[in-house]
Amino acid sequence: MRYIFNFPDIGEGLDEGTILEWYVTKGQTIKAGDALVKMETDKVVADIPSPKAGTIVATFGKVGEVINVGNPLIELEIEGVFGEQAVAVAKAPQVTNHDEEKEVEEEAAAGVVGTMELAEKNAFLPASDENLPKSEAVAKPAQKVLATPLARAMAKDLNIDINKITGTGPSGRVSKTDIENYKPSKQPAAKQRDIQMDLTDAVTYEPLSQIRKAIAKNMINSKQNAAHMSIFEEVEISGLIRVREKYKKIYADRDAKLTYLPFIVKAVVQALKQHRQLNSQIDMENERMIYKNRYNIAIAVDSPEGLVVPVIKDADRLSIFEIAQKITELSGKARDRKLTLEDMRDGTFTITNYGSIGGIFATPVINYPQAAILGIGRIVKKPVVKDDQIAVGNVLGLSLSVDHRIVDGGEASRFVNKIMEYLADPISLLME
Amino acid sequence: MSVMTIVQAINNALDIKLEEDKTVVVFGEDAGVEGGVFRVTEGLQKKHGVERVFDTPIAESAIVGTGLGMALSGLRPVVELQFDGFSYPAFNQVISNVSRMHNRSRGMYKAPMVIRFPYGGGINALEHHSESPEALYSHIPGLKVVVPSTPHDAKGLMIAAIESDDPVIFMEPKRIYRAIKQEVSNEKFSIPLGKAKVLAEGTDVTVVAFGAMIRECQKAMVMAKEAGISVELIDLRTIYPIDKETIKNSIRKTGRIVIVAEATESFSVGGELIAIANEEAFLYLEAPPRRVMGFDTIVPLAKGEPFYMITPDRIFYEIERTVKF
Amino acid sequence: MIFNDFDPREDKIFRIIDNDGKVINKELMPDLDDETVVQAYKHMLFFRTADQMAVSYQRQGRMYTFPPCMGHEAIHAASGMIMRDQDWLAPAFREVGIMLLKGVTLKEIFLYYMGNEEGSNYKKANHVLPISISIGSQFLHATGIGYSVKYQKKDELVFTSIGDGGTSEGDFSEALNFAGVWKVPVIYTIQNNQYAISVPVRNQTKSINLAIKSYAFGLPGIKVDGNDFFAMYAIYKEATEYAKAGNGAYLIEALTYRKGAHTTSDDPTKYRTKEEEMEWAKTDPLIRLKKYMDNKGIWKENEEELIAKYKLEVDKQFEEAENMSPYKLEDVFQHMYVDMPDDLKRQKADYEQFLTWKESRK
Repeated sequence: MRYIFNFPDIGEGLDEGTILEWYVTKGQTIKAGDALVKMETDKVVADIPSPKAGTIVATFGKVGEVINVGNPLIELEIEGVFGEQAVAVAKAPQVTNHDEEKEVEEEAAAGVVGTMELAEKNAFLPASDENLPKSEAVAKPAQKVLATPLARAMAKDLNIDINKITGTGPSGRVSKTDIENYKPSKQPAAKQRDIQMDLTDAVTYEPLSQIRKAIAKNMINSKQNAAHMSIFEEVEISGLIRVREKYKKIYADRDAKLTYLPFIVKAVVQALKQHRQLNSQIDMENERMIYKNRYNIAIAVDSPEGLVVPVIKDADRLSIFEIAQKITELSGKARDRKLTLEDMRDGTFTITNYGSIGGIFATPVINYPQAAILGIGRIVKKPVVKDDQIAVGNVLGLSLSVDHRIVDGGEASRFVNKIMEYLADPISLLME
Repeated sequence: MSVMTIVQAINNALDIKLEEDKTVVVFGEDAGVEGGVFRVTEGLQKKHGVERVFDTPIAESAIVGTGLGMALSGLRPVVELQFDGFSYPAFNQVISNVSRMHNRSRGMYKAPMVIRFPYGGGINALEHHSESPEALYSHIPGLKVVVPSTPHDAKGLMIAAIESDDPVIFMEPKRIYRAIKQEVSNEKFSIPLGKAKVLAEGTDVTVVAFGAMIRECQKAMVMAKEAGISVELIDLRTIYPIDKETIKNSIRKTGRIVIVAEATESFSVGGELIAIANEEAFLYLEAPPRRVMGFDTIVPLAKGEPFYMITPDRIFYEIERTVKF
Repeated sequence: MIFNDFDPREDKIFRIIDNDGKVINKELMPDLDDETVVQAYKHMLFFRTADQMAVSYQRQGRMYTFPPCMGHEAIHAASGMIMRDQDWLAPAFREVGIMLLKGVTLKEIFLYYMGNEEGSNYKKANHVLPISISIGSQFLHATGIGYSVKYQKKDELVFTSIGDGGTSEGDFSEALNFAGVWKVPVIYTIQNNQYAISVPVRNQTKSINLAIKSYAFGLPGIKVDGNDFFAMYAIYKEATEYAKAGNGAYLIEALTYRKGAHTTSDDPTKYRTKEEEMEWAKTDPLIRLKKYMDNKGIWKENEEELIAKYKLEVDKQFEEAENMSPYKLEDVFQHMYVDMPDDLKRQKADYEQFLTWKESRK
């Protein structure tokens, strides 16, 4: 293999040298480390040794000639390596540079270790502007609110621009409470805007009530999280009607209204016992299902403010009549705005009854984070087929919405079918 | 005006003071005949005489100790230690005596001397030639510690250091000794010690640095500008006493601070500046103060040095993180 | 020159009077009149009195610590009497006698050991540095001053001392080396009192003596009987003339014995014997000089009365120190810098706020 050895930068900061004496000649065989040539540089006279063993093929430069660093000195035929015709050019010792700056070592001082960077010939900074009068006044710190990093973090989490808040803390500092108080409803800015935009009486403005706000929040939350899927069924409940009629009279004096709802609640509870998927909750964060062991049936009830959903706790332990009593009680409380937090908590399944008002079918919105909601529609007199004959039937519409993440179509159907069985034949409720 | 490198600027400062004040003497290893291994004192012995500019044996403790003796008996010595890592043998004289003489004698004796040495890495050097010991010296009560970043500042600060009646540790960033040229007045001028300089005004983040890192920060600022980040760059110039006023005003304006320095991160100038940020601008902070500094390791030799030395992109990376906090 | 005749490489020691005060080297006896000799003894007597009282004050709890100089009196008297007002003294820390002769007051010395730096702010003494706690570093400072006075062409010499222990410090060698190269007018004294706290000099170095170390640096060196007032005086005279003539530095090893403890916190019984102490007691500088004077019949004073007078003087100085105005908060800060940095001002102001708060709670 042919090998060219270039005049190396021997670290004294040179760019050239003068050949004083050749120690080798063409054809001579040398070992690695043998002195090749005596070079005179700015600082020292030095012998340049060969980095490889081989036979000298050519020398470059005569005695007295000036050679630049990086230019060839000798060409070697390296022993023991055959078949390669390409000339390998010896690499000059790499001086590592950590950025792309040009490295020229013209003036490195004696005794210095390391590589010094030199400024380019015609590049220099302008004179310092120290002590020169500045054209603009010294920049004053921009007006900002004072706030601790903690308060700033809080504002950030709540997506509030802290600079908009007036601080009431020491030195006018924005405190935690300032931020907390900034959250609630008062939005004078918004009001201003609307009034500005619409000066006609095309619209009327009313502030949102607490309940309306809560409903709005819950509805959107439910829709955004649960994968709503609804199925619709009709069930003929003439048998149920007869039962109800009979017992309604019996319990009339017991101060509880016996509607169809208690029967439906009971049917739902029995069905849930056999289809626990619908009495559950999905916990995506921890990647698990939470199966409820209690049967707390929430009933959607009308109240002056709007819909509220009080809960019948442990409906599986109550008789149909007790359920009726409970419903009466909760409805009364709702009307009188006396529902407590306890009344509203821990529901596991919801029934919404809009039948009395109208509507046969609907697509009820799940009471999140429950798994499903059953909507009860109107009972309608309709022609039905009985024993292959047309008869007048009393048909109830059932609308079941499920969270499709939890409940598959088959499971939903089976659940509804179960309920329908119970409602069609109320005695079966006693059997389970 | 002349175009000077930092080496030439310091040489010029020494020349001016040697000329003007006959009590000034300059000495150190190879500082006389050869003019110093970096040529900072070149030509001075020839011009001012061997009694005023001279070589010493290799004895750093003696260089500083005898310098102290001279300082307290009427002279103003400017002593040279050849490299940052070789200031360590003289450390005892600095911490035990130079820094304390004024206090010890209740003002009867003062120590108006300058101890100068080249500092800092990034030049592929051997061990002990890449140190950044400004925190060690700044932590000693009784000293002042100065680090220029440009030729103009080097000249002005050196003259101020020589004229100071307190002892000054003058650290010269060797990596940029000859890498920066600047137009500098040939006249005598001085820059007050203890004053930082705002090199560029900005609104999004304050970057504080000194010495060779200033140039790296300026390169990072170009990257920041492209990313739409407005950087305010402060050159400390004096480490002790530090210019709290300038730093305070800047952080209060931007709400963010990034400190860039070569030295070991733990227990450093970076830590001090973060303390200052908290003390002076706590309520204005929008992001935690950050320091971009060397690892808690010895500066690696050439092959490993690229990991250690702080580069413009690393500075930009930290600036961006701070702004996006 | 004397040092030529007493080559430390042959472990020779320069002595003029023996333990009985008899002159054994008449030729080299310095030319001193009787009055001066008597004065020298009185100085030494005062030094010893003050020294013993200082130890006593410390034991009374009125001073924090004190390094007794007992035994060094001849060295101190001789160098102190030779030094001129304009000459410099860079002391170690066992130097009370020299400092007193240089104009430092006992009050100032006591003030320092009571824990007040004000004691180092000498009101009268000229060109005396504070004592050096950092062992050996004063040798470098002296060397620097030597360069300085030579450079400024001032008629000033520099005197500095170090202990036998201090000669092991790097600064000792560096200073002497520079002194040789720079040819500075500095007289370096090694007060070899045989002990560096508990370490005897034979374990401090295996060199045959300490004066010989001068040869490593191209300086004249001589071993002298440090308890011989006349020998000390003679050698200092030669050294000062040598320096004044521009010949440079001189190293003197003065052999003596630390009769007291290292400091008042030290108990010598732990590391040396009574026998050794008694052996060295025979060389006591005061006894020898007294015997010389008695031999010549020049001592006419009543020693007891003198000591009583000296005690009163020492008490007076001590009381003045004790009644010194109290240490102020300013004293902590104001001397750190000629130009006080803002941080110090702020720290002081912060502390003052704390003091105000403290006051308000009383």
